[in-house]
Amino acid sequence: MHAIATTDLTKRYGDVTALDGVSLSIEAGTTFGLLGTNGAGKSTLFKLLVGHLTPDSGTVTVGGTDVTDAGHRLRDVVGYVPEHAGFPDALTGREVLGYHARLRGVPKAERADRVAAALGTVGLDDAADRRVGGYSNGMNRRLALASALLDRPRLLLLDEPTAGLDPLGVAEFHRILDRLREESDLTVVLTTHVLAEVEALCDDAAVLHDGDLLFDGAVGELRELGEGDELEAGFGALIADAGGSRGETVSGAEREQPAPATGDAESGQPASAEVER
Amino acid sequence: MTDVSAEEEGVTEEPAFSLPTGVSEGSALDQVATVARLEFALAVRNRWAFALAALFASLSVLVVALGGQGGVVRADAVVVSLVELSALLLPLVALLFGYDAVVGSDESGWLGVLFALPVPRSRIVIGTYLGRLAVFTGAVVAGFGVGGLWLAAQGRFTPAYLGLIGAAVLGGAAFLALSTLLSTLAAEKTHALGGALLLWVWVALVHDLVSVGLIAADIVGPDWLAVFVLANPATAFRVLALQSVPTVTGGMADVLVGSGVTMPVLVAALVAWSVAGTWLASRLVRRRSV
Repeated sequence: MHAIATTDLTKRYGDVTALDGVSLSIEAGTTFGLLGTNGAGKSTLFKLLVGHLTPDSGTVTVGGTDVTDAGHRLRDVVGYVPEHAGFPDALTGREVLGYHARLRGVPKAERADRVAAALGTVGLDDAADRRVGGYSNGMNRRLALASALLDRPRLLLLDEPTAGLDPLGVAEFHRILDRLREESDLTVVLTTHVLAEVEALCDDAAVLHDGDLLFDGAVGELRELGEGDELEAGFGALIADAGGSRGETVSGAEREQPAPATGDAESGQPASAEVER
Repeated sequence: MTDVSAEEEGVTEEPAFSLPTGVSEGSALDQVATVARLEFALAVRNRWAFALAALFASLSVLVVALGGQGGVVRADAVVVSLVELSALLLPLVALLFGYDAVVGSDESGWLGVLFALPVPRSRIVIGTYLGRLAVFTGAVVAGFGVGGLWLAAQGRFTPAYLGLIGAAVLGGAAFLALSTLLSTLAAEKTHALGGALLLWVWVALVHDLVSVGLIAADIVGPDWLAVFVLANPATAFRVLALQSVPTVTGGMADVLVGSGVTMPVLVAALVAWSVAGTWLASRLVRRRSV
């Protein structure tokens, strides 16, 4: 059963098409990686998913409800961590979450416990009463994650969650996500430039390039697209091929089927097994 | 993950969960009050509240000190001096205090975090405005209160001084709303700051000169003076504050007070500027990309 489904999703900024007819669906309970180069459309897709933008055409549904009709009900089930999350330096981590809990409508009697639990989940218990101004980048990112987890979301959207973190910060963030995946049926969607992150965390992935969806399938299937069974090679092959195959999506399942008798199939290129959207 | 595209079958599947049917978001009042409390707490922690209070206190003490010991008539002169100074400084301070309310939060990443919460954007803007207004009001009352206490200690306190404080709160509210609006519209903090400074130049330095000049040159009739007074919150503040002073004579102040605009109309105008600015900001913030 899916948590997110988009159909022919298109978004333009003036003459620039940020997303061009993207259709995909994300299974509940999985961790899904949205890969792409800079300007690929990942952040635009995320903003459409959380209702910060409205599509020019196509639909995007979360929990079966069209996002454009969902209003603020959407954020009752979605925890969103923006890429550039920041907090007022003068507040402590506990105070930030206390205000957020109140704004989320968490009952007063539960607030302190929920805040403490969220801080514990992201490993900020010890720093809870320190001012955020003294937090490291990684701690800030974990505080943003704690805020997103406060209302026990069904779906967690993480926009470049480890960008700019040092290796220890990245490892800590990955450990937290792994634990969340083990302990709940949370659906996690994350955007990233880092292929190793997808490899480490994700069950499935999609690749966006210049607003087009190039791939949509299991991470293992993306790996198989390149030589040497490495994710980097698979991703590289897709991007290299993208110039000649704009508007076409590789589906992992289609890859495993016999190539259709088309000109593309005869070329022997990865695009040979692509299906037109 | 489905093996085929969502177009083919994904969207026809049953969703794994559904959104709540009712509106479960917190009450509007509670959310606005929470954002306002947060803004207030931040201004206190960042010492903005104390800096503003100290500024207004210094201003009032300086004017009272320079006003000498000349009894109640001289006390009214103190109020007039304070009004004239405040007509320049109050808009500037309010605009500088509010210009980063939205765009500053955006640049720091805080606005994106707030927008990710189940809170309508309009409530975040209104709460931010009200929180800052509470800080500004407290600073005006406390700061000007120091000068007032000194006058009272000398037995020279007059109702006109209270009128000044009330007018300063209303004038500050109007300019804070306008700066919040600028902050909502600006893409960058520097743009908002530039807009705030340009607005200050117009309202504090140019508007009254242009208004009186247009009337003096017979381009518009004297009836327009009332319109000009109401069209500029700084002028409306000035006239409102001076109305309770019985000894205004000569100069631009005398001309403006002679506009015939009554106190209730001036109060309503300043309230209208505040409400309109905040309302517009709360509407336009929906278009803001974070």
